[in-house]
Amino acid sequence: MSEMDCEHVLEMVWGYLDGEVSEEEYLGIQVHISKCADCGPRYQFQRRLMVLVEQKCREGPVPEALKRRLFRLLEE
Amino acid sequence: MLQAAGSFYCLVMGVHALAREAPLPAHTDREQFEQLVEQHLNGLFGAALRLTRNRTSAEDLLQETFFRAWRSFHTFRPGTNARAWLYRILMNAYIDLYRKASREPEIVDQDDVDEFYLYSKVQESDQYKRAGNPEEAFLETLLDADVKAALESLPETFRAVVILADIEEFSYKEIAEILDIPIGTVMSRLHRGRRQLQVALWEYARRARYVGADTQPPQRESRRDRPSAGGGR
Repeated sequence: MSEMDCEHVLEMVWGYLDGEVSEEEYLGIQVHISKCADCGPRYQFQRRLMVLVEQKCREGPVPEALKRRLFRLLEE
Repeated sequence: MLQAAGSFYCLVMGVHALAREAPLPAHTDREQFEQLVEQHLNGLFGAALRLTRNRTSAEDLLQETFFRAWRSFHTFRPGTNARAWLYRILMNAYIDLYRKASREPEIVDQDDVDEFYLYSKVQESDQYKRAGNPEEAFLETLLDADVKAALESLPETFRAVVILADIEEFSYKEIAEILDIPIGTVMSRLHRGRRQLQVALWEYARRARYVGADTQPPQRESRRDRPSAGGGR
């Protein structure tokens, strides 16, 4: 597989981070970002950003009272 | 509280009215249904909160989802993707209950914004450059409330896809099935949604800086690695 250029690698960022690229593309990107001083930090930042959004937007458990109300209705 | 109780009562009555039209599943299915739904209730509630942006509406939406899932439980095939089935019901209930209530303005895509908008902004910022690691310094200034508000500021079409991909971690294919849209549409909405989210996050961070960010230490949270590729999702 020929080496990927920066433009192509940067276009693939979401697909890569979402695990939605082929294995060949995945490996090509991985090699590129491990060596490239432009693309590497960009990928690193996007990954950190995605983790942060997930952590900060995830809610705690459903309130117990609501859960009890829901399941009680099945008994009626 | 009274409002919540009232809407809950209406929902119960609504379900009873519908129950006359379509018989509820057999009593013996109940345990199976409870087991299946219980493990996904937390996620469904979180998604309902981010979608409706309001606790009372989120509770109503969760109840409606729960009833619809129970009513159509006989159509669920064991061994298929229960989680995606439940989220599909949630999204349909959300559209039926809330989308008609508030027409959103036409979506304007920001063509000048690229996938690395936030990274570039941070790199260009003198304030963050003064920190040893500008990217990390920026991310640490973001508070939970800022990130939630930024997500909730997205137009509904984009918000739904970002919630399903970035918080609920569904694959593109699953999202396409949940929302009944082509995979290409999932990708374009997700990419545009993430671009807009970055613009909103930058605005929130800027605002936080102007109201005495120095007196309020940024929150620190444990970092969790996310599986990136190779069929992890």
